[in-house]
Amino acid sequence: MLTYVGRRVLYAIPVVLVASFLLFWLVRTAYDPCVKLRNTREGATAVRRCQENLGLDQPIPVQYGKWLGNALQGDLGTSSRTNEQVADMLPPAMWNTVQLIFFGSVLSITLALFLGVFSAVRQYSVSDYTFTALAFIGIAMPPFFFGLLAQQFLAVGPKDWFHLNQPIFYIVGLHGPGQSGFNLDYLRHLVLPVLTLTVQSIASWSRFQRTSMLDVMSSDYIRTARAKGVPRRSVIWRHGARNALIPFVTVVALDTGALFGGLIITETIFSIPGMGRLFYDSLNTGDANVLVAWMIISAFFIILFNLIADLLYGLLDPRVRLT
Amino acid sequence: MTLPTEADQYRDPEGVPTLPSSEAELGLDSGFAPEPQSQWKLFRRRFFRHRIAMVALAGLILITIACFSVSWLSPFDPNKQDLLAQPVGPSSAHWLGTDELGRDQLARILKSGQLSLKIGFSVAFLSVALGTAIGAVAGFFGRWADQSLMRLTDLFLVVPELAILAVALHYWGSKDVVIIAVLTALFWMPVARVVRGQVLSIREKEFVEAARAAGASPWRIIVRHIVPNIIGPIMVNMTLAVTAAIITESTLSFLGFGVQPPQSSWGKMLSDAEGYVGTPKAYLIYGPGIAIVLTVLCVNFIGDGLRDAFDPQSEKH
Amino acid sequence: MIGQRRSLIAFVAVAAMALGACGSSGGSKSGAGGTSSTTGRPTPTSGNGTLVIGAEQEMDCADWVASCAGSSWGVWEMMEHTMPRVFEYQQAANGDWENVPSIMMAEAPTVSTVNGKQTITYKINPNAVWSDNEPITSEDFKYTWDQIANGKDIYDRTGYDKIESVDTPDPKTAVVTFKEEYGGWPSLFGGGLYGIMPSHLLQGKSRSKMMANGYSFSGGPWIAKWHRGVDVTLTPNPNWYGEKPKLSKVIFRFIPDTAAEFQAFKSGEVLAIYPQPQLDAVDALKSGIEGADQQINADTGNAEALWMNNAKFPFKSVAVRQAFAYSIDRAAIVKRLFGGIGVTQPQQSLNPPIQSAFADTSAFEKYTLNLNMVNQLMTGDGWTKNGSGIWAKNGKTAAITLNTTTENKRRELTEQIVQQQAKDAGFDVKIKNQTPADLFGKTLPAGNYQLGLYAQVVTSLEPSLCSIACSQNIPSKANDNSGQNWQRINVSGLDPLLETVQNSSNRPEQISASKQADLLMGQNMVSLPIDPLPNISLWSKRISGVKGDNPIFAMFWNLPEWSLNG
Repeated sequence: MLTYVGRRVLYAIPVVLVASFLLFWLVRTAYDPCVKLRNTREGATAVRRCQENLGLDQPIPVQYGKWLGNALQGDLGTSSRTNEQVADMLPPAMWNTVQLIFFGSVLSITLALFLGVFSAVRQYSVSDYTFTALAFIGIAMPPFFFGLLAQQFLAVGPKDWFHLNQPIFYIVGLHGPGQSGFNLDYLRHLVLPVLTLTVQSIASWSRFQRTSMLDVMSSDYIRTARAKGVPRRSVIWRHGARNALIPFVTVVALDTGALFGGLIITETIFSIPGMGRLFYDSLNTGDANVLVAWMIISAFFIILFNLIADLLYGLLDPRVRLT
Repeated sequence: MTLPTEADQYRDPEGVPTLPSSEAELGLDSGFAPEPQSQWKLFRRRFFRHRIAMVALAGLILITIACFSVSWLSPFDPNKQDLLAQPVGPSSAHWLGTDELGRDQLARILKSGQLSLKIGFSVAFLSVALGTAIGAVAGFFGRWADQSLMRLTDLFLVVPELAILAVALHYWGSKDVVIIAVLTALFWMPVARVVRGQVLSIREKEFVEAARAAGASPWRIIVRHIVPNIIGPIMVNMTLAVTAAIITESTLSFLGFGVQPPQSSWGKMLSDAEGYVGTPKAYLIYGPGIAIVLTVLCVNFIGDGLRDAFDPQSEKH
Repeated sequence: MIGQRRSLIAFVAVAAMALGACGSSGGSKSGAGGTSSTTGRPTPTSGNGTLVIGAEQEMDCADWVASCAGSSWGVWEMMEHTMPRVFEYQQAANGDWENVPSIMMAEAPTVSTVNGKQTITYKINPNAVWSDNEPITSEDFKYTWDQIANGKDIYDRTGYDKIESVDTPDPKTAVVTFKEEYGGWPSLFGGGLYGIMPSHLLQGKSRSKMMANGYSFSGGPWIAKWHRGVDVTLTPNPNWYGEKPKLSKVIFRFIPDTAAEFQAFKSGEVLAIYPQPQLDAVDALKSGIEGADQQINADTGNAEALWMNNAKFPFKSVAVRQAFAYSIDRAAIVKRLFGGIGVTQPQQSLNPPIQSAFADTSAFEKYTLNLNMVNQLMTGDGWTKNGSGIWAKNGKTAAITLNTTTENKRRELTEQIVQQQAKDAGFDVKIKNQTPADLFGKTLPAGNYQLGLYAQVVTSLEPSLCSIACSQNIPSKANDNSGQNWQRINVSGLDPLLETVQNSSNRPEQISASKQADLLMGQNMVSLPIDPLPNISLWSKRISGVKGDNPIFAMFWNLPEWSLNG
């Protein structure tokens, strides 16, 4: 297994490098971080000075080479937007995002698993149709739509209807003023953003789990187990769900990378300064240093999740030997 | 005791020992090789018997027709503005109310649907075509082409899609063609993986050897053995792609990267009205929102029906 | 497998709690948000003197004189509360805004002429001190001038580059000598852009390093702490020599999405907001928000206009410019956009409302919707309508591209209305929206446009139209392509008038020249002002002491007087 992991990591490195160069090139070609200075009194002079400072007059491969050289020595450069050190900007943003993704994943995986299995076992029942309809509506709603509806009907609305002093769920940030740590205030801030982030995942993953569960449940060996008199619960969980987990795991792992996409919306609507927001702000101003560093981190996570999926697959399916 | 091959279809079979495919269930081993024609007939029959999918199909056709014939259908010109009229809610004159420019909301929704549907279907079709081609090539031509194509897939997975989208839109303008092109380039990967997996696993099978030995052309092999296996997940992926394309387009508008006036889409209408949640003008949101949800529901139910039709395993109990 | 899964879930749950617990002290710089509260007891959202205000934008940096700053919100959430200035802006009885010496000054600055040069003497209040109790001195004035005039990467040196020297005869007197006459001197050493910087703390050090990420000193009533990405927290300056703030803490919480900002206001998580005059904001105010007070101020420093490129076809011709102006029903546009909040009059000068003392509105008043005038002017200029009803001349049609910023729904509405009205009058308008960076950084300066829809924002009471309307400011080699006259306005007789406005320190002379300039610009239809962008202030009834909007410093200008009930 170690060789497998090693090989995958090895293959990943050139991919990430090429991807980073691609992104760098794209951003440098399409965005000019100095252009906003044109509007200042100094105008073109300021722009030129800025371009010299950032080395923008040099060919892009040379710029990238410089960046790479510095990065390998641990210097990730300065943000052209805020003049902060890129290395200082990433950890706080990552921390916020990790919280969202972590709780989001936990919630999605648990709910999707249970909902999927439940629906499959009670196929064509009222509850199945209900959950199916809900799942489809969840998939069909653009995340910002859901987020804003959640704000209205789960935060602002209840406060007005029940004449509360404060809303039950908060919609600004992850902590109230002067608050920190894992407490009730934190949880009340966490609910709506995590829900918004995961509604699509829960909906689509539960569908996947239901499908693969259905496939498994109608297969030969399940019928054999039933015929043999294995207790129903055991059939469902031990034999059914476990095998149905296989495609589920793959989909989850691939999709978790996609959670990053929904992050921007959630972080914007709920005012959480995370990686999604950082990416968006940097993109708009052509802040290449931040963008490339950001991409390398996200690539790391995507590759990590893919790897975990493959390893889990190996664990779950004894027939699979990872060569 | 065999495990169903559905599992394989979602999994990169790198390192997985070959398993019998659905051919076994279809009785290929025993020499009953159904002609591709009758297989299609079987799929068609199964599909048309799926009631919900039929309702959804009818719904989708209805929506599409309504959207593309709004110029003839609607008593209101979707572009006609009436500055003096403040937006009004749903009434007997305007069933869904009027928007900020005094235009009839229902007519607007139908008109915008043209662009949303166009983007959704184009992306779905093109991405599936592209993914199938790439996956098939990777699977067929083995090690070298395979490895490089898989690295390409990884590359596309790693580069942040929003960056590519934003840059492309920045460069070539916020035109629908650009959005379609970029979304296609970002959605082909899952299909490629699935197709590649199938092609790889099929390649190893003994009956392929047998068929080759018997003189069957590679074309026949593809059509008879590969296509039936991949068509299921491909159809599902297509419906997922439609959904994803419509929703991504709406997210793009929200972030400011989407289509610009005078073009309009459901996503744009939705993001324009985002500030009206919880206000009396909320009807401006629910119109396009429900349009999106309905369309996506129809597409997904059709996808369900397709998958059930192509999947020999799922029988109605 | 059940057993395995159960323990997997248990592991996940424990990990969750562990991660969350780590979060408490994790956010050092900004991260987990919130200030360094050590008691752990929950503080209510407001009450106990802590007020949370919603802020739509976070500044990029706090080095106010540098080019990375230059954002209005930076002024409103941090700069105005911590950097001392010479003048405050207050409203006189007749409604005009005027400069009033601030508490930092012992008396009003005196203007005199010494050796033929304009000289201003500033006498500093003997009680004026920084937050570390060191006095505010004339050295601070000198340092500030030196940094702005000679520093690198400065946002706007205007005026400071006209200063010849700053002398410091005694610690509380600064004497500023100008190279040439400069009428806009009240905007220096304070104004709406910068304040005075503490030389005793910054001299010899890198000002940018000391300030860009936030600073702990202050010359104002508050001390600011900036948590990047989360908020700016203001606490009273213990050594403030003026009226002490009533609140114990004010937090400007960054909420980037406007819809979410309104929701946060309605849910009570923020108690005051200062939203852009967007369509949904106007709508919310029309119906009113329960438990909230609001104020609309149309007397602002913002003037939105249809800016015409005077050097590009078809707007090269005065007749076409005038004809286009007669095709637009500006009153209807303003009424549509802001009628709900009581703003109905179009903008009638390129001088924004707070500088209306310098404006002559009769110049632009005559431009109302008048299709007869359109026909008269266009046919007189040699145009005829083609088969599609569009004006054409010598084979070219009157095809115009209208550029404005993306992500601005109010502007999208405006441009669609303009497009429709123009079409009815025979002009073919196409819409092209760009990001602000592209629009203001590339397109407009380079002159690659015909019609632009955007707003000029001023940060002081001193008129400065010369910078955008004098011909020497057209971007060219002579000014290193840095000129701000993006409209390529070149009207004979206009330059001397506007230069007088800019340089003369004789008020009546300034006003007269400015009004004449207005008339000239109106006659030549250099560009078409459309709507005043009103400022919207919204605050909960639980706050007392709010006195309304200030066009430069927003509703927060008297923050020390605010207090919370309940």
